[in-house]
Amino acid sequence: MSDVQRIDAQLEQTLEQVFATSAGLHTGSADLHFDRALWVTLAELGFTRLTSAATGAGWIEAAGLLRAAARHAAAVPVAENDLLAGWLVEQAGLPDDPSTVRTACIADAAGAASGVPWASAVERIAVLWEAADGWRVADVPAAEANVEHRRDLAGRPSDDVRIDLAKFPSAQVAPEVARAYDLRGALARAVQSVGAMERLLAMSGQYVTERVQFGRPLAKFQAIQNLVADIACETALANAAVDAAVVEMAAGHGDLDRVELAVAVARSVVGHAASVTVRNAHQVHGAIGTTLEHRLHEFTKPLLAWRMEFGAVREWDARLTEMLARPGVDLWAFGVRTDRP
Amino acid sequence: MSFAPAAHHVQESAALRELRESVRTFVREEIASGGFVPAVDCWLNSWDAAFSRRLAARGWLGMTIPVEYGGHGRSFLERFVVTEELLAAGAPLAAHWISDRQIGPSLMKFGSEEQRRQLLPGIARGETFFAIGMSEPDSGSDLASVRTKAVEVDGGWHLTGSKIWTSGAHLSHYFIVLVRSAPLDPENRHAGLSQFIVALDSPGIDIRPIVSMNGHHHFNQVFFDNVFVPDAMLFGRAGDGWKQVTSELSYERSGPERLLSTLPVLSEMAAATQRGDLAPDPELGRMFARLMGLHEMSISVADALTHGRPTDQEATIVKVLGTATEGDVAELVGLTIGAAGSNDGLARLREMAATALLSRPGFTLRGGTNEILRGVIARGLGLR
Repeated sequence: MSDVQRIDAQLEQTLEQVFATSAGLHTGSADLHFDRALWVTLAELGFTRLTSAATGAGWIEAAGLLRAAARHAAAVPVAENDLLAGWLVEQAGLPDDPSTVRTACIADAAGAASGVPWASAVERIAVLWEAADGWRVADVPAAEANVEHRRDLAGRPSDDVRIDLAKFPSAQVAPEVARAYDLRGALARAVQSVGAMERLLAMSGQYVTERVQFGRPLAKFQAIQNLVADIACETALANAAVDAAVVEMAAGHGDLDRVELAVAVARSVVGHAASVTVRNAHQVHGAIGTTLEHRLHEFTKPLLAWRMEFGAVREWDARLTEMLARPGVDLWAFGVRTDRP
Repeated sequence: MSFAPAAHHVQESAALRELRESVRTFVREEIASGGFVPAVDCWLNSWDAAFSRRLAARGWLGMTIPVEYGGHGRSFLERFVVTEELLAAGAPLAAHWISDRQIGPSLMKFGSEEQRRQLLPGIARGETFFAIGMSEPDSGSDLASVRTKAVEVDGGWHLTGSKIWTSGAHLSHYFIVLVRSAPLDPENRHAGLSQFIVALDSPGIDIRPIVSMNGHHHFNQVFFDNVFVPDAMLFGRAGDGWKQVTSELSYERSGPERLLSTLPVLSEMAAATQRGDLAPDPELGRMFARLMGLHEMSISVADALTHGRPTDQEATIVKVLGTATEGDVAELVGLTIGAAGSNDGLARLREMAATALLSRPGFTLRGGTNEILRGVIARGLGLR
């Protein structure tokens, strides 16, 4: 009656193993640094440019990769390199060397972009901008861009970039590429968020069964059980919404209205789920969870940072409202479609 | 490391999507011809036997019951799609709700051949309606503490005691009750319970209304005074009551009625926004997103159940989140619109919101309170 699309169980296991054994620990600093050793391992396994036309893998596999990376707080630009920069370069028909580490951004006409993830750590920046003759893409060596180093609230490089656009060869792309770029970025962050939530759930469950207060493990207190149960609930809901959006994106049908709806639903659900999962995970961990020494912040901080990228939560909520407020839209039929693109 | 409960997107087949579309067409025609007015909490409050029979005529009752028993031999997922569409439309489903959702599948699982032959055809025709008797005045969430007694007599059993919160008992033909058929063993509280099918016109039964705070009457208390139930109406096996009752909780917990009780309110809120009677509010989009996520989870559980995969944890999560969200929809409208006073285009929304706000406390109580269910989730996570 129905087919269930999911990542191959063996690939999922491999990904989990790679990140569990190879992701470096971040010690002693609130700043995140590019984990180059992990990147080399991932590159050897073909995981740094998973969705290139040459590999045949798509969003389903990439989502498995991003989730596993986020579950282990991996400090690598896998989403940026593959799903954004690699994709842009491919869309533009520019030469693509899979061994290059890239990030991507949308710049204004003057070549300026702010909050570009990992720009100070990569070799090249795929830049997308609206020129007089339409949207263009250039693949710019990071060394030739003016990069002002900044960090987001998770301590990850989130830099201000200025590029002399006229200096580099560029290629024109369809206007849909710009819209698709934003949706891809938004979905990538949602996928990563689910990975971080999975880890928060696991860490919280483990901590409350080990930590003893008043002569019994925290897990024996109903109030604590409720906090952890709510992390499980919100994580499961986020997972369901994101999974649906990944499938819609993976279908590659090019109906961006459809993709936007699924991504908007996912981003709204994930954004609000982050409120509950972050708060409850900190609450059950007590004061130790607020320290740099404890690993909890490696999963709570990215959640708070990711939901601010590619559109704030309220913006996604508002975008859905806008869709529902269009004349003639029936809310239920709009969400639960019976047509195929 | 344990990962979050899996939810996997179910890609609906062409046949399922066509089925959805045919229900939508039917619903549009019904609304246009005055067949029903979309209502809040329609599966509990809107009793319309004639509408149930119109559904039956289309083959949309008893869908999963095998053809040889008068049903339609359709899949659980097909029933899910039809039910979801009808709930989203706020159609009057209360008359057949329990018989269709619960009793049909239970009879196929635990019923005797005689019971199936006698009851299933009427269920599928929309002529035989059921209620359920679980809670008692002194046993709410703690179901194993029921005290209604069944004492074996010649040719059957004598039932004495009372059941409370029995929706629709005053309009139904039968109800299925959980009773204590052997003395309580404190070491094994779940033993000694049995289920019976009781005709509601049996001598010794007294049905008294319990009127809800919004003035509606669907609840009842049902008293038994030595009510004779023949052996043939023992449901399943004596002493297996607990196992039988709990074996189908995934169906009950994850069903679309656990998230769509107020969907017509949200639809009307969107319509009012389209008309310009309400300012666009991001909260509308937020509620819609949550419901879409819940729809994904709910159908994913239905799909898993169809394929025999275990999904207890996911089903429980759907109920916890779904019932909270349908209440939040009511709350959102309550926070958004003012009292009546002018012709502001919100009369319909105001009327629905009133029903929704006064029904809301029940959402997170019925079928297991959210507090109990969080405990169930915690147990699934290995915390208890």
